[in-house]
Amino acid sequence: MGKNDKLSFYVKTPLIFVQESFSSHIEIFEQVYEQALELGWVRSDFLERIKEREDMFPTGIQLEKFGAAIPHTDAECILTEFVAVITNKKPVQFTSMEDKNKKVITDVVFILGLNQPHAQLEMLQSLMKLLQNDNILEEVLAAKDSEQLLHAIKKNEK
Amino acid sequence: MRKIKVLVACGAGIATSTVVMKRIEDLLQDNNIDADVQQIKIAEAVSKQEGADMLISTTILPTQYKIPAITALGYISGIGADKLDKEILELARSVDQ
Repeated sequence: MGKNDKLSFYVKTPLIFVQESFSSHIEIFEQVYEQALELGWVRSDFLERIKEREDMFPTGIQLEKFGAAIPHTDAECILTEFVAVITNKKPVQFTSMEDKNKKVITDVVFILGLNQPHAQLEMLQSLMKLLQNDNILEEVLAAKDSEQLLHAIKKNEK
Repeated sequence: MRKIKVLVACGAGIATSTVVMKRIEDLLQDNNIDADVQQIKIAEAVSKQEGADMLISTTILPTQYKIPAITALGYISGIGADKLDKEILELARSVDQ
């Protein structure tokens, strides 16, 4: 596995938000958008497009113990690739990926800012592996700062 | 048995379908089923179903299709993934009969 294939390569400190209390998924999107726009990593239509896509194709995933969401949007809005990670001290409601009538209360949100479809298989696989590992996920959720969070994510890659 | 054609869809054709596609390719290969697996956006499924044998989607199916369609979020959440494997293999094996 090359360096660029790892999830930790895409998770960058300015887009890690730990133990946050957002009131809605929209607020999470706004926070990530503001930061990413300032960094020059997204186009200005990112916010609108990710909101639209989440409405049309929700990304909430009910896991064994936790709830997660993996919002993403079209490749052309992303200038520099990233995975934003948000852990919720106060759970945030998303709609389930498989059923529009089902809600998922999320503890963690991974916003995928990717612009090369098909290219990041290994990174995506390591993200899915992380979602399926309660122990590592618990550590991610317990992280008190971005350093601890990255440390937990890197553990998953060993 | 002829080569079967499988469509793997998600909303953007970018994230979850990439992972699920690999999983399906490996699953079919491990079971000696010759398949052409194609990654699409769910919106393209209606026009691409012609000539395909099944549709596997990680997202909500927005409409009904002429071909068998399976939602496969279990491959992402890990819940019920084995059952999905079984279901897809059964479907793949029934194609030729």
